[in-house]
Amino acid sequence: MDEICNIKSISCGTEAAKYFALQEGYRNLNHGSFGTYPTPVRSVLRNYQDRAEATPDAFIRYEYPERLDESRAAIAKYLHAPIESCVFVPNATTGINTVLRNLVYEPDDVIIYFATIYGACEKTVSYIVETTPAEARKVPCMYPVSDDDLCDAFEDAVRDLKVNDKNPKIAIFDTIVALPGVLAPFERLTQLCKQYDVLSCIDGAHGVGHIPLNLSELGPDFFVSNCHKWLHVPRGCAVFYVPERNQHLMRSTLPTSHGFVPTDGGAINNPLPPTSKSDFVNSFEFVGTLDNSPFLCVPDALEWRSKVTWNDKQGEEAIFAYNLHLARRSGQIVSGILGTEVLENKQGTLGDCNFANVRLPLSFKDLAESDPAKAARIGQWIVKTLVADYQTFIAMVFYDESWWMRLSSSVYLTEHDFEWAGQVLKDVCDRVRKEEWKENESATKL
Amino acid sequence: MVTPAFGRQMRDEHFLFAKSYVPLNHGSYGAFPAAVRTYQRSLQDQTEARSDAFIRFKAPSLLLESRTAIAGLLQVPRQTVVFVPNATTGVNTVLRNLTWNEGDVIVYLSTAYGACEKTIVHVCEITPATSVRIDALFPIEDDELVDTFRLTVQNIAAQQGKHVKIAMFDTVCTFPGVRLPWEALVKACKAEDGAHGIGHIDLSDLGQIDPDFFTSNCYKWLFTPRPCAIFYVPTRHHHLIRTTYPTSHGFRPLQEQQAATSASSDNDYLGELFKWAATVDMSPYLCTLEALKFRSNVCGGEAAIRNYCFDFAQQGGKRMAQLLETEVMDNKNATLSQCCFAVVRLPLRFASDTVSTTYGFTDRRSEATRGGVEYNQQLLPPERGPEFVKTIMDKLRDEYDTWIPMKFYSGAIWFRISAQVYLDMADLEWAAGVLSKLCKELPGSASGS
Repeated sequence: MDEICNIKSISCGTEAAKYFALQEGYRNLNHGSFGTYPTPVRSVLRNYQDRAEATPDAFIRYEYPERLDESRAAIAKYLHAPIESCVFVPNATTGINTVLRNLVYEPDDVIIYFATIYGACEKTVSYIVETTPAEARKVPCMYPVSDDDLCDAFEDAVRDLKVNDKNPKIAIFDTIVALPGVLAPFERLTQLCKQYDVLSCIDGAHGVGHIPLNLSELGPDFFVSNCHKWLHVPRGCAVFYVPERNQHLMRSTLPTSHGFVPTDGGAINNPLPPTSKSDFVNSFEFVGTLDNSPFLCVPDALEWRSKVTWNDKQGEEAIFAYNLHLARRSGQIVSGILGTEVLENKQGTLGDCNFANVRLPLSFKDLAESDPAKAARIGQWIVKTLVADYQTFIAMVFYDESWWMRLSSSVYLTEHDFEWAGQVLKDVCDRVRKEEWKENESATKL
Repeated sequence: MVTPAFGRQMRDEHFLFAKSYVPLNHGSYGAFPAAVRTYQRSLQDQTEARSDAFIRFKAPSLLLESRTAIAGLLQVPRQTVVFVPNATTGVNTVLRNLTWNEGDVIVYLSTAYGACEKTIVHVCEITPATSVRIDALFPIEDDELVDTFRLTVQNIAAQQGKHVKIAMFDTVCTFPGVRLPWEALVKACKAEDGAHGIGHIDLSDLGQIDPDFFTSNCYKWLFTPRPCAIFYVPTRHHHLIRTTYPTSHGFRPLQEQQAATSASSDNDYLGELFKWAATVDMSPYLCTLEALKFRSNVCGGEAAIRNYCFDFAQQGGKRMAQLLETEVMDNKNATLSQCCFAVVRLPLRFASDTVSTTYGFTDRRSEATRGGVEYNQQLLPPERGPEFVKTIMDKLRDEYDTWIPMKFYSGAIWFRISAQVYLDMADLEWAAGVLSKLCKELPGSASGS
């Protein structure tokens, strides 16, 4: 709190790196998976946790709700959304589960999603399909697909369902796909959903703090985004946005907790103080006992970010611009060193985010004998080796018969980090060709 | 072994409370010692230092160690126990994984934790299941409770097309804070909410008692940070638990599942399913060993803690009842009080014709007031009971820096004290003094307006 106030400015790169608790010598080139947060925000987090231990009931029952509302106000403002529509959940997967499990499915209802959906979300859809009358429709898409083709494929799927007397009830799609890490035309998809009367459920896990978002303009039916990925908030914290018109559909949190209101309004023992908040907001305030301190850190994370500078930009503008620029450069640098390419479509829209997916110069046919299982083993060896031998981690995806490394830019990285990464990957590829991956897993000092 | 210094000294040396705070409500959110916090923070620092390396490669083995430790405490196979954030999640995981057909009935006790009751209500809203709630008025004898339960189940079974699919009950209930004859209830039937279980009562027979499902909060009584609970499912029921809540990477669609079981010897099905249930801070789960170490090295072990706390609850309850000139809630066989809670009545008499005489409650109360000093001459209106509860609890928080849960129950106000290794009798004597004062100050009481 005081600490952040006193900061004058933080330039992106090596100065910003000083604010993070990254281990000396470890290069985090995968900010996208778990995120991390600056030490001043850690102080704020620990302060809340200490207060919870100092006077547990007083803090948890009375102070926490007030701090929570301040945090909700901050994230609502940031996303240009009404505060009444914003609550926190631990992570995007919980948000998606909350939506999908609360909907009531009739026969012929269909859940539409893309082939690039996040694994856990696809599994949730699988489970729903197993246990309810709902069906699923997976829209194929192979990158580097153009936005037009992707949207057309979606529209075709919706039309096709309707023509066959199916009801496309809800569509799940990303703002930014996880693997490969590419920007999706989510605004257009949202509009298409409105046009065809399909509920839009946006998995914006990679969203808030990564790309500019205006939820009032976007107007999705449901939206969830991890604050712990790109907003410099501690794990686990995600914003779950449900416009008031849809809140009645969310009968229960996951798990069900004190805020649940039975349809007959029956009085069930609720140990928490009475509230004047809406049922929706009240429901999400306490969802089983958790450590919700991360939820409370949004205002301070935003304040820290407001001090970040790059060139003549400041705050969010600086962070967005720096990350985007560095991601593009990282792709150029690494693909240059490896003699390969960055995954991109003709219009250049996929890379408009903090990721660059670079292909490794390895042949699926020659090295893995076209066997996906072998390809997986090679991939696993690569990432383990990066950690064990090079003190780094880069997310990898085996896609379209190639191994792709998903580079994540971040305010604490510079181009030097990616020059280094290019050389490391070159080295690793040599080792793959020498078949080191076939030997037993080396004793990795992790 | 050196006898540990329980009480104020333990509190000041090892715990994290504000100096002025009197922690009489361990039962709600638990507490953990500084040593565990230090360890937790080192885990969190390791996570930020090399997030992928730690989360993907180190945490899983630490998680396995934690599961092994818990399994040892409960004397069950490791494959049957996993971590979930809290007991509410555990209960939701069971109830929502089961397939509900017409005629299925869920039986539960009126002492069910609110969120769990709401889960049952919601499940009945969205599936063909129905529920039956057994109203139990405390104090009640174990036999009576178990008999009532058996009778209820039999009555349901006798109805055409109905059968009790699952029953949910506590080991120690939240309010009133009393121990239930859960072992006997398990014998009589099927499932279990042990939110106040692990570290509180002796669960080392869990394997033998063998409930169908069991969940318990480690952060409540085992000195781990929040959130952390265990979820126990005997191997025979693993096939019923298809998914975590939320569904995550461990879920295997049916076709995949069927293919897998024929190919591999899947002997940690539950472990694999629950290994990753969406991105959360898993450090509380990983603190289990450290918490157990503290309990063993500093507190003298589970039995020592339990003995101190049970004894303290018993003696403390009696002492407070003595000072307040009221009584402790217990049944004739004194089984309800076999836990770390003491439930004591406030010295406020309410005009009540609704008090049940079934369990001799009224008799006991008039015994206590006979010949003693009455705090209020006139009988208070029972409709104001909840209001008085709020007034007193607010004052406890605002003016006395403490928190004691209480409730207007069965015609009187009962409060619940949680015994713990960091409390001693002086704390309870102080609390009794404060409560006495607050009762006198209530509007409508003798010395109040």
